[in-house]
Amino acid sequence: MTKIKYNGIEVTVPENVYEPSEDSFMLVDTVIYYVSEGMNVLEIGTGSGLIAATIQKEYEKCSVIATEINPKASLCAKHNGVNVIRTDMFDALKKNKKFDVIIFNPPYLPTVDEQIEGWLNYAFDGGPDGNDAIESFCERVIDYLDDKGTVFLVTSSLASIDRALKIMEINKLQPEIVNSTKHFFEELVVIKASKSRQ
Amino acid sequence: MDILACPVCKGDLVLNVMEEDDTEVVKGIISCNACNIDYPIDDGIPNMLPPENR
Repeated sequence: MTKIKYNGIEVTVPENVYEPSEDSFMLVDTVIYYVSEGMNVLEIGTGSGLIAATIQKEYEKCSVIATEINPKASLCAKHNGVNVIRTDMFDALKKNKKFDVIIFNPPYLPTVDEQIEGWLNYAFDGGPDGNDAIESFCERVIDYLDDKGTVFLVTSSLASIDRALKIMEINKLQPEIVNSTKHFFEELVVIKASKSRQ
Repeated sequence: MDILACPVCKGDLVLNVMEEDDTEVVKGIISCNACNIDYPIDDGIPNMLPPENR
């Protein structure tokens, strides 16, 4: 068990659950600035629930819902106060349900030969080029996004940032990089996207 | 419940509450009659994975 404290929220993270890291902190710092009171917010793959819990605490009148596939992470997020559904991305959500903000901290590590054993692999494994989960998310997110809604996604130079932007454009999203930080071995970016007008 | 659909057929679901508190269903069963699949709710978490993926 590890306790992570960030922006006044403390989450307890057991083994086999992704421990909130620079990417999580950067995403939540960005998203919190754009969310406003009363919005319908969805987080895909919430992990420990840090991001969803922070938004819910900051904006009490927001409806914040999260999905998670890992059973241990689902339970962890629940214990951290998040309204979580155990499902694969959007699978168990009605298509007529639209959200103002949809957040995703995807697994973006390119798969080499080895994978992490068990459910935790879902938090890291981005497929051969690191963009598999981003692609799967982008192909479906438009069905759940309000016409004026916004998507926030974090990715890394370890995958290809340009490829992520391209995937979003292919899927009728208009992306822009709204935050970026350089780290020892990677650059992290937060991409904000809305529905394309054309 | 108003946001949930069957992950297999995307159809409507029926909720059977076994235990609830002031804010949520703690334990129950969500059923898709079309697919004949039951999705359990435990500890307030609906497990909406198809049985083979749980």
